[in-house]
Amino acid sequence: MSPRRTVGIVDYGVGNHTSVWRALHALGYRCRVTQDTEVLNGTDLILLPGVGAFPSAMQAIESRGLAEYLRSRAREGRPFLGICLGMQLMADSSSEFGHTAGLGLIPGQVVPLQQAAWHIGWNTFESVGRDPLLRAIDGESVYFNHSYVFEAPPEYSVGVARLMKPFLVAVRRENVVGLQFHPEKSQSAGREALRRVINGLCDA
Amino acid sequence: MGCAMLKKRLIGVITVRRGWAVQSFGFRRWLPLGRPEVLAQNLDRWGVDEILVQAIDRSVANRGPDFELLERLGRTGLSTPLIYGGGIATLADADRAVSTAADRVCVDALLRDNPREVDRISRHLGAQAVIGALPLARRDGTLRWLDHRNRGETPLLASALGLFQAGVVSEALLIDWRNEGAYGSFDEALLEAFPVAEVPVIAFGGLSEPAQLRRVLGMPRVAAAAIGNFLNYTEHAVQCYREQLVGVVLRPPSYRAMGQA
Repeated sequence: MSPRRTVGIVDYGVGNHTSVWRALHALGYRCRVTQDTEVLNGTDLILLPGVGAFPSAMQAIESRGLAEYLRSRAREGRPFLGICLGMQLMADSSSEFGHTAGLGLIPGQVVPLQQAAWHIGWNTFESVGRDPLLRAIDGESVYFNHSYVFEAPPEYSVGVARLMKPFLVAVRRENVVGLQFHPEKSQSAGREALRRVINGLCDA
Repeated sequence: MGCAMLKKRLIGVITVRRGWAVQSFGFRRWLPLGRPEVLAQNLDRWGVDEILVQAIDRSVANRGPDFELLERLGRTGLSTPLIYGGGIATLADADRAVSTAADRVCVDALLRDNPREVDRISRHLGAQAVIGALPLARRDGTLRWLDHRNRGETPLLASALGLFQAGVVSEALLIDWRNEGAYGSFDEALLEAFPVAEVPVIAFGGLSEPAQLRRVLGMPRVAAAAIGNFLNYTEHAVQCYREQLVGVVLRPPSYRAMGQA
């Protein structure tokens, strides 16, 4: 039986941590919701949630002195998961409300979705590439709520969804994974995705 | 599994008055159902696509959002996206609603009272998190917009329509308020009459019959159908609707416990 993991949910004042915390708790993980890097150091996986606009989120991270900590944590090879805006913050930059630098954990830019004004609702997740991490939810519907997308080189793509054309909704660079959908609000498929990613990264 | 495309949604509506979930009929008659958080847990377990909790007396009484209710909803650990509406008058209200439990907020009176504040909310939370609710009726061939606080009607204001045209709000919740709660009575002409073609629409009010749901959800501009009273009369009602709406691009029916991996 695998040890009980502790997930550090980064509290930078943006978004709904409660939903993520509840979902993880229901899956049997311990959680620490904090901006204290000492506390985050004691966790098995960093989870970066997020709701809202990219610039204000990056500003909130910078103002708490967390940006460099998050970069170094990812560089050290420690497990790292970003959800929705938290995934987008992993990019090099975003064009939302002007140019803003991101955390630069995975190469790429965050740009407006071209195929529609928004991508809201349940859409099919398609696992791509040979990465087994998200294969279990290939073909499942998960919940999206965003208008910007992460454009990354294909070697970092592990999942797409489609409107008229496919676009990137899951990225991975070694120990760092980003999910554009909300696994905590995607019912059974979302919880399965959370479980697979957290255990997969922690066991790697 | 289902087809690889964005699905249309069935939204479960919980109407809250004086802290209790109620059945609502035409915005003027209410029957108690129970505790809102219990109904939300039922809808979550039954696999509805989103849950809309609308506290209908908060703006009327100028009491702000029902944060105690939101905290109770947050404690239930819903695995379904939650939309909250009722009493949101400021960016601080919307921000707190989201940080407490909501994934999206629904504004109604604020569209009329303070469009600039709606814009501030949208810039902070993102337009995808903001829905504009419009209780409408057709009279003499024109659309009339109900102000439920005083039960007066006006034409749709240009300032409010501008929010939809500019993409400040991501979806329009078009409410047939006169037919709310009455079986199969949604006035489909409201959907055609709403003048902003660009914004996706959520239809609500009197949608109960599969044939009408099929027609409404078949309209390209309709992204979702919201159902209130009728989901409370049968267990797994949303899955029953899905079974009867085969061919509509919805998530397929499923009876597994939705919150469990």
